[in-house]
Amino acid sequence: MFKELDPILHSQLRLAVMSLLIGVKEAEFTFLKEKTGATAGNLSVQIQKLKDAGYIEVIKQFKDNYPQTICKITAQGIRAFEEYVKNLQSYLGK
Amino acid sequence: MDSNKPLTEKESLELITSMLNKAKQSYHDSGIGPIMWGSVITFCSLITWARFKFGFDIPFDIWLLTLLAIIPQVFISIKENRAKKARTYNDIAMDYTWLAFGVSIFLLIHANTGISKGFEKDFGDYFKSSGFRFYDYTTSLFLIIYGIPTFISGGIMKFRPMIFGGILCWICSIVAVYTPPLTDLLLMAASAFFAWFIPGLIIRRRYLKLRLQGNV
Repeated sequence: MFKELDPILHSQLRLAVMSLLIGVKEAEFTFLKEKTGATAGNLSVQIQKLKDAGYIEVIKQFKDNYPQTICKITAQGIRAFEEYVKNLQSYLGK
Repeated sequence: MDSNKPLTEKESLELITSMLNKAKQSYHDSGIGPIMWGSVITFCSLITWARFKFGFDIPFDIWLLTLLAIIPQVFISIKENRAKKARTYNDIAMDYTWLAFGVSIFLLIHANTGISKGFEKDFGDYFKSSGFRFYDYTTSLFLIIYGIPTFISGGIMKFRPMIFGGILCWICSIVAVYTPPLTDLLLMAASAFFAWFIPGLIIRRRYLKLRLQGNV
């Protein structure tokens, strides 16, 4: 019996953000934008969704008088990501 | 990238792999640290060697340059960390490795100073006649410590010149046990040059190339 894939993660941009964040300790918004090639507006919306789900932590601060947004994956996010990959592999018959 | 685009399972897996690779590739060393330390240690070792070999003196301890080099190193580290858009696990591993190295070097100097006081009390005449200080005889210990972070950094960066550099430091540490202090200084110079300076230049070249391509 296949488990349903997490709808929060089963979206191209949100999955891309989570995959990037799982590989680093923390990343700036600009880093995520550059690596995913998404628009700032779309990325902001998806980051907010991931934050609301408790999968990422968003820290807003100032760096050299400019606003800076830092994103970090949470323990809940790591568990959800691992579960998602496990379910994905069961779909692919691995 | 479209947030609402439906993904097949295969596409999801491909996306995850591609993003994980992008995250992995975001670690970049500028190479300034190894170039600076490689040149400072090589220079200090060669000047000390030349001092004994040709019998000249300089009005200050040349090794004080290593303390001075800490100042630009701190500024460079702060500047580089501020410029980074992502903090990778490699960044953290490298920071802790080199911090442990710095602390170990200071502890070794501290231990050597303590031990040398005892030795110079008991064998003062010998040290006075040879001109060497106690820690000119402990090059082997320094080289063991030089090799550790170099080897680990090479492993983290999957960068062979530094892995070989670390191994070279350890080989020189073995050789230094059997050679006179004057030769030990040349071994230290060679270790710093081949383990840090040369790999640093290669890293710097790669970094500048990536920066030109807009990937850093």
